[in-house]
Amino acid sequence: MATALKPVNEPRRPNIATADVQLPAVKDYEQVDREIMATLHPTTAWFIGLGVAITFLIIGAAAWIYQIYAGLGVAGYNPPVMWGVYIITFVFWVGIGHAGTLISAILYLFRAGFRTTIYRCAEAMTVFAVMTAGLFPILHLGRPWKFFWLIPYPNWRYLWPQFKSPLVWDVFAILTYLTVSSTFLYIGLIPDIATLRDKEKNPVRKRILSILSLGWRNSDREWRHFARAYLFLAAFSTPLVLSVHSVVSFDFAMALTPGWHTTIFPPYFVAGAIFSGIGMVFTIIIPMRKWFNLQHYVTINHLDAAAKLCLFTSLVVGCAYMSEWFVAWYSGIAFEKAFFANRVWGQWWWSSVILYTCNMVLPLTLFKQSWRRSPTWLFILSFFINIGMWFERFVIVVPSLSHEFSPWQWSSYAPTWVDYAILAGSFGWFSMWFLLFIKQLPVIAISEVKEIIPPKLKRRHDHGIDPAGRHLEYEPTTPGESA
Amino acid sequence: MPGVIGAFRELDSTVEAIEELKREKMGEVTVYSPTPRHELEDAVGAPPSPVRMYTLIGGVLGATFGYWIAIWASDYWPLVVGGKPVASWVPYTIFGFEVMVLFGALATVLGMFINSRIPRLTMTVGYDARFSGGDYGVWVECPPERTADAQSLLRRHGAVEVRSES
Repeated sequence: MATALKPVNEPRRPNIATADVQLPAVKDYEQVDREIMATLHPTTAWFIGLGVAITFLIIGAAAWIYQIYAGLGVAGYNPPVMWGVYIITFVFWVGIGHAGTLISAILYLFRAGFRTTIYRCAEAMTVFAVMTAGLFPILHLGRPWKFFWLIPYPNWRYLWPQFKSPLVWDVFAILTYLTVSSTFLYIGLIPDIATLRDKEKNPVRKRILSILSLGWRNSDREWRHFARAYLFLAAFSTPLVLSVHSVVSFDFAMALTPGWHTTIFPPYFVAGAIFSGIGMVFTIIIPMRKWFNLQHYVTINHLDAAAKLCLFTSLVVGCAYMSEWFVAWYSGIAFEKAFFANRVWGQWWWSSVILYTCNMVLPLTLFKQSWRRSPTWLFILSFFINIGMWFERFVIVVPSLSHEFSPWQWSSYAPTWVDYAILAGSFGWFSMWFLLFIKQLPVIAISEVKEIIPPKLKRRHDHGIDPAGRHLEYEPTTPGESA
Repeated sequence: MPGVIGAFRELDSTVEAIEELKREKMGEVTVYSPTPRHELEDAVGAPPSPVRMYTLIGGVLGATFGYWIAIWASDYWPLVVGGKPVASWVPYTIFGFEVMVLFGALATVLGMFINSRIPRLTMTVGYDARFSGGDYGVWVECPPERTADAQSLLRRHGAVEVRSES
């Protein structure tokens, strides 16, 4: 059966969907293997980065040990503000994870081509962010070694968790999310691990990779079941990601506290989570594509498409902020109105300014295409987004607890060095895992990139690329089709 | 079962070889490719993957278990709070949903493993490391008397290397 090729007549434009997918500088499968595997060689800069991450982790771990020894009082908790940096940072890290699932699962279901080269990184970010987030409720416990009491398990005293408590909902949601996102990451990695295995010369590493690849051999049978399983995992991950941050928001929304007890919280949290995660994706991927010389894989078109997603989620989050104000005004409840006035004119006004500036104002620059296509600006903006989203959670947690119904309850809150050390330690923990990941396993999905590279053909025009460097497409009749 | 393996550089040559092997009824064909391709899938003509059944069963069991554990534990320790029902289906939907996703996802992976026959401790005959790189492989099981025919068919379609294995 003939395989007819025709040139794509449209010139490549930055904003069309097909341009987001194309990688004109990547010519064949061997180049993909060679260039992506080259990222696995450790460098001096990588060792320095890992050393810095582990140092931060040790600082955080030391602070935690001190907190266990001295008690939770060293963490700056002061009634009535009994949720502080730990809960803020928990919500922050869970949120970071959400963009990874959005990019890897939701965009997969929507067949958004630009996800291909960034999803592996985002997915790994999800797993490590959720691993980091999961530590914080435990850190927040007075007796962290009793955390397993939240899990329903048969025990001698016939005690079971309170299933109506949002904290138990959290346990189920976070553990499910961690399990499913790790599984999704690993399943997607299997074909790439097999590729590494087949190229590996070191017998010890080859053995380890053979075990991790589960004997994968790229057969049609394996690909058929893999594709189906991957689709269903993506289909499960999509509602899961929406449910997890909704459940996290219930921790707040179920409480009768001004600023918390509102039905807008689940969508507001989910949108904020995705927005913050995209910010972190930029923070990670922009330096990485430069250091690893992967600019022709993660192209400006990819960044442009992700920036649009960032802009969209920023607008949704901004809409949620405005809705909160509207709900407070429209409710007619004096406490709610007073709380929102306090948010802007009260003692925490500066945190609200940071929040609105970073999350609503600065992302508006992404309406301009040249800013969306500037990796430097996206990298700088991503820091503002990370800071802004941490402060969003600060504004939710601290002002509400410090300004409840009765004036005698009003108080202040000041994090201590223990809070700051553990916050820094969480970044060390996350970075350590991520740095270890990027030197052991490919940060770009090899097999999926090969899917979008035109295959070698017997009847071909220079391996599916025309003299102008544009990719060629199949005619409607492709090899193997019966009609 | 002995057979013949052919390594191809081009996708269309691979597809044509598979189609002719099937026309000639040489034997069961297994195709190796560095990435999934619809062209190969269509040429092989395999039935739909049954992984979906594992997903469905896992999901149904998970939802049932999620609701059951919450309802059973509440009923076992019937603590009435605020006059609310002991077994309250609205919050328990969270457990039903989360455990459905958990069991459904794990069952999907199990289904993929069983149907793909992995984990596999040793490489089976016919596999070559180049098939995870850039080449396509066609393995056809055939009796010794048809080996020469299969080899010549694969070569005719442009296989860069052909060898018999058993």
